[in-house]
Amino acid sequence: MSSPFSINGGACVAMVGKDCVAIACDLRLGLQALTVSNNFPKIFQYGDVFLGLTGLATDVSTVSDLFRYKVNMYRLREERNIAPSTFANLVSSSLYERRFGPYFVSPVVAGLDPKSGRPFICGFDSIGCIDFAKDFIVSGTASEQLFGMCESLWEPDLGPDDLFETISQALLSAVDRDALSGWGAHVYIVEKDKVTKRLLKGRQD
Amino acid sequence: MADRYSFSLTTFSPSGKLVQIEYALNAVNQGVTALGIKATNGIVLATEKKSSSPLSDPSSLSKISLITPNIGMVYAGMGPDYRVLVDRARKVSHTGYKRIYNEYPPTRILVQDVAREMQEATQSGGVRPYGVSLLVAGWDEGVMPDVESAVQGGGEVEGEKKPSGKTGGILKGGPMLYQVDPSGAYYPWKATAIGKSATTAKTFLEKRYTEGLELEDAVHIALLTLKETIEGEMNGDSIEIGIVGPPADHLLGVEGVHGATGPRFRKLSPQEIEDYLTNL
Amino acid sequence: MEVLLGITGKDFTLIAASKAAMRGATILKASDDKTRQLNKHTLVAFAGEAGDTIQFSEYIQANAQLYSMRNESDLSPSALAHYVRGELASSLRSRKPYNVNLLLGGVDPITHKPSLFWLDYLAALAPVPYAAHGYAQYYCLSILDKHHHPDMTLVQGIKVLEMCTDELKRRLPIDFKGMTVKAVTKDGVRDIEFNDDKVVKCA
Repeated sequence: MSSPFSINGGACVAMVGKDCVAIACDLRLGLQALTVSNNFPKIFQYGDVFLGLTGLATDVSTVSDLFRYKVNMYRLREERNIAPSTFANLVSSSLYERRFGPYFVSPVVAGLDPKSGRPFICGFDSIGCIDFAKDFIVSGTASEQLFGMCESLWEPDLGPDDLFETISQALLSAVDRDALSGWGAHVYIVEKDKVTKRLLKGRQD
Repeated sequence: MADRYSFSLTTFSPSGKLVQIEYALNAVNQGVTALGIKATNGIVLATEKKSSSPLSDPSSLSKISLITPNIGMVYAGMGPDYRVLVDRARKVSHTGYKRIYNEYPPTRILVQDVAREMQEATQSGGVRPYGVSLLVAGWDEGVMPDVESAVQGGGEVEGEKKPSGKTGGILKGGPMLYQVDPSGAYYPWKATAIGKSATTAKTFLEKRYTEGLELEDAVHIALLTLKETIEGEMNGDSIEIGIVGPPADHLLGVEGVHGATGPRFRKLSPQEIEDYLTNL
Repeated sequence: MEVLLGITGKDFTLIAASKAAMRGATILKASDDKTRQLNKHTLVAFAGEAGDTIQFSEYIQANAQLYSMRNESDLSPSALAHYVRGELASSLRSRKPYNVNLLLGGVDPITHKPSLFWLDYLAALAPVPYAAHGYAQYYCLSILDKHHHPDMTLVQGIKVLEMCTDELKRRLPIDFKGMTVKAVTKDGVRDIEFNDDKVVKCA
């Protein structure tokens, strides 16, 4: 009931397509059953890599700020953008640093490998154990519903447009069955040299 | 009481010089010559193993060291100082990189870390500068120089991912060769030498170096250059060669592991060196 | 039973806080001001554990003022909100965290855009058009959902605020002794006369 992971609510999902990836999140911020804001995005862009964070809202902000700092420092030091797999390992080691006082977040990473162009997605638990996936990653209070939607809607090698449709329907349908998520969504479709961000209004009830 | 005060010994002379660093360079210039040559497909590091006595056992002396699977290092100057730097370089490549990103640092990042260590010894209290110059050779994943020049030449291939110039970055891959000095300054080279006969060796290299060199040619030139400067006899035991080349999967220790690639940096065995010498 | 309310409109941000200073079931004071001005265009209202509220809000007030003196320019409400969040977030994982909920409102000194930030003791920060803290949320947010409009004038804003306080008087079990109401506009922070003596009959 008052697990730090479900105080504020929220949902996030990432999917692999053909030469593209998608990542989407809801926009709700609440206190238990009360909705405080419907403008709280949970996806953050660092160069060519995307990070989705669900869980305790304060840690969503803290962790997203922390990685903005770390990725900017990486870019200055190495004079290049961080690759998704490198970033995933950075997330993992940074979260494990807080092994005995963790950030209450369930991160999701999505992006295209800059060298091969291959889609990359993965998820984490709050202490940094990486969950690599070939298909989709879900996180947040609607994760069970998202698992169901993704299992039934996702198929291999979806193009960018079909992938957008799939991830959007999966997210919107999942959050409709979760009292703590919803109230609009952000959807990112990442292609080789194009990123499309769409705002879904969603049900406002 | 005296230990409460710890001033840096490296202080400016009125003319603006840091003489302690110049003395450190003098130590380097008395050291045994070491050289490095960059080829299109690799790098060679070479040096002489000088033994002062016929009783010494050169097979257990090693002057060229592996830092990461793709990066190796050689020195001219003080051996003990070099060992400290090798330890620091190996350590920082893990604590400052592998343990964070689960991959080894690119050559330039490692060089910067070692150079920082050397610079700090010129500004900290209670220490003296390192009495060595280093040659660091490594292979970086990234866009190969020939591919890059083809893209810049306007011959853009449809469907080929071009490097994003967003950060003006070093997406540059392939062989990298750096020299690091006691001051902490570092320089990228195509070919260079450090130590006692550095000037002679560099003049020789200027004559023999050509663009588009293959690794085998580079090893050949390295031996020829060494021959110019060497004092003793040249054989598999008296010289040391390290190469950065294609992944040496036979050094992996296992076979059939998917995605595993062997180290690119390896030292040549005395037998391999002898083989090169007979073909000289 | 402390009440904090915030409403943004066309060119203003309204901040209101209950006047009752309470300790347990006892009202110690009926003219408490639970707000602090951070700079010319920014105001915070706070509620929570007795010592923490004043201690924390005056700490951020002092730092905001120090910034203004050093740099001869004010931080924007958004910048201050993120600063306050950072302080609260590091406090959250300290030995003794501050237990303070805040509303931070203001108008941007350059663009004159009004803004309001909702911030709880966990340092969860959200930019919002209108907000409340504590039990007031359950009574007022639905009223604000229905009657708020981003292009409201100050007079309309005060009217909606009155609808909220009326409802609170009607439903809250304890008298909160009326509201301190302040409006932030491009000209700075202004006290708003608010009729606390209006009697609201319960249904």
